Amino acid sequence: MKALSDGQLLHFFKCLEKDWEVRLPVTLPDGTRTLGSLKDGPIALLGGSLPAKPTGAFFPQEEEIFRLSERELRLPLPPERPLFVAGFTSRDLASLLFIDRFFADDPKDDLYFRRRQSALVAAVTGWCGPGGSFIKMTSKGCDLELLRDERGWLLLSHSEAGRQATQELPEGDDPLRLERFVAASASQSNDDELLLSQAAELLRADLVPDSFWNEIGDRCILCTGCNLVCPTCTCFGIRDWRSASGVERIRMWDSCQLEGFMREAGGHNPLGSEALRSRRRIHHKLAADLMRWGEISCFLCGRCDATCPTGIGIVSVMKEMVARHGGPANQRSR
Amino acid sequence: MTTSPPSLYQPVPCDIVSVSDLTPDEKLFRVIRSDGAPLGHLPGQFLQISLPGWGEAPISVASSPTRGNSFELGVRRVGSLTSELHRRGAGKRIGIRGPFGRPFDLLFLGGQDLLLISGGCGLAPLRSLIQYCQDRAEEFGSVTILHGAKNPDHLLFKNEISSWESTARFACGLTVDDTAPGGCYDGNLGQVTSLIPPLQLDPLRTVAIIVGPPVMYRSVIHELERKGLHAGRIVVSLERQMQCGVGKCGHCSIEHLLCCKDGPVFLLSEIEHLRGAL
Repeated sequence: MKALSDGQLLHFFKCLEKDWEVRLPVTLPDGTRTLGSLKDGPIALLGGSLPAKPTGAFFPQEEEIFRLSERELRLPLPPERPLFVAGFTSRDLASLLFIDRFFADDPKDDLYFRRRQSALVAAVTGWCGPGGSFIKMTSKGCDLELLRDERGWLLLSHSEAGRQATQELPEGDDPLRLERFVAASASQSNDDELLLSQAAELLRADLVPDSFWNEIGDRCILCTGCNLVCPTCTCFGIRDWRSASGVERIRMWDSCQLEGFMREAGGHNPLGSEALRSRRRIHHKLAADLMRWGEISCFLCGRCDATCPTGIGIVSVMKEMVARHGGPANQRSR
Repeated sequence: MTTSPPSLYQPVPCDIVSVSDLTPDEKLFRVIRSDGAPLGHLPGQFLQISLPGWGEAPISVASSPTRGNSFELGVRRVGSLTSELHRRGAGKRIGIRGPFGRPFDLLFLGGQDLLLISGGCGLAPLRSLIQYCQDRAEEFGSVTILHGAKNPDHLLFKNEISSWESTARFACGLTVDDTAPGGCYDGNLGQVTSLIPPLQLDPLRTVAIIVGPPVMYRSVIHELERKGLHAGRIVVSLERQMQCGVGKCGHCSIEHLLCCKDGPVFLLSEIEHLRGAL
């Protein structure tokens, strides 16, 4: 366990830049808090979950697949330095582990692992949430954990790579300090976990009528914000850009809320209504991924609920679904 | 093209060997990998055809792996990529990724009577299986091919049908939705479903395979069920917007299944309960 002040932590990040491409929460000149480099703006580790998904560090909104010029095809070069990405909460890390599994599933997605493979991932937990609120500790899925309290920062290593990166930092000498984090984490609970399992069960049992999805679909304005901020949304489209120098093929995030997401060349569209697309978004996370991957792929990060301008983020929809169509207990009493 | 480092999304260069017209909207491309290597496909699989500048499109392989290292693609002109492909002739280069997807289960089909039902360009992927059955006839029972098109001009592989009919234990039935006034077509009129009731088939040793436009499946399945075929003996090959072909892009999901990876060939019993599958 290492103990650092704000200044020492900043110095640590600057030292990391020699060997790592450092990405951490910063405040941009326009006030946006996002993942960036130390050059992009002041560090903004405090404030809780980033508005944008941190998994975007490994699965960016747009990335090159290849470039073709004069009949020569060039694949993108691997990053010069491995990525160091800080700013994950425990829910973000659960999301990261999920998409790690998704992209590793045969055949392994080489574009994703080009960035992910050698990356160092750091969680930011403790009393660093909005207004100084507590964010639960975590050890799964990260190499390092930065724990915030009123005295500064504790650094815990959860992997050999994390230990190596922090080996020269000053040791913490107060074991009671860490115990406070452990106790605070143990006392954290989230009622939405129960909601999640109730909603998943309703969908699995096909107890949500089409009329429900018609209403949710009517409220969708196709802004696609829910997909763009979701750390487990992995859908993408493949596009070619032509220029005088050749062709660049890219992949970019896509949204299942858009009318053309599944429309086939022949015109058939399996998701031809907003109701079907809204159902797909929720069903995919709560039921389809549970069947395919053995786990629900919503980890309650709250981003889609914070983003959706019409109040149909996943937690809002789950609450409405369970209230109107009953959790398992209600079904038994029918 | 470079060969390293390998990427899942890197197309393999191929050369167009020949092009022939199938219908006013469809062409048949004979293609070979530029390195001369076999494609390594099985009937029912598809490729991502890659034209840099136009993108990629999923196209079923229309020829059998028993027919040599070159392979054939029946391509309907429906969008910008397929229009560009139609403009390319012999000697031009294209890219491919694949073969992808679950093929027809040849072990399951072995020894069975096959009823192959297609509509429109659905005959192209079935042709791969038809050729395979021709070349390994001893592995299968009878093969009945039913095909429907919108009009006589759009009947696919007209030149090959007589060869199929002359193969021992093969039979063909063709129908069109409509005929042009004054045309010389004197065959069946009506949807492909109309060809099913007169058939004599043993539901315990027949496997039906359906490939066609989405609107076709339910009515064909209904007719097959009336013949006593159950969902474990009905195979469907589904069309979806498959962008990556490797189960990553999400465009072809059917509830928890991915058409490009878990399909496109499914037993009806695997997908009939899934919303949006048919």
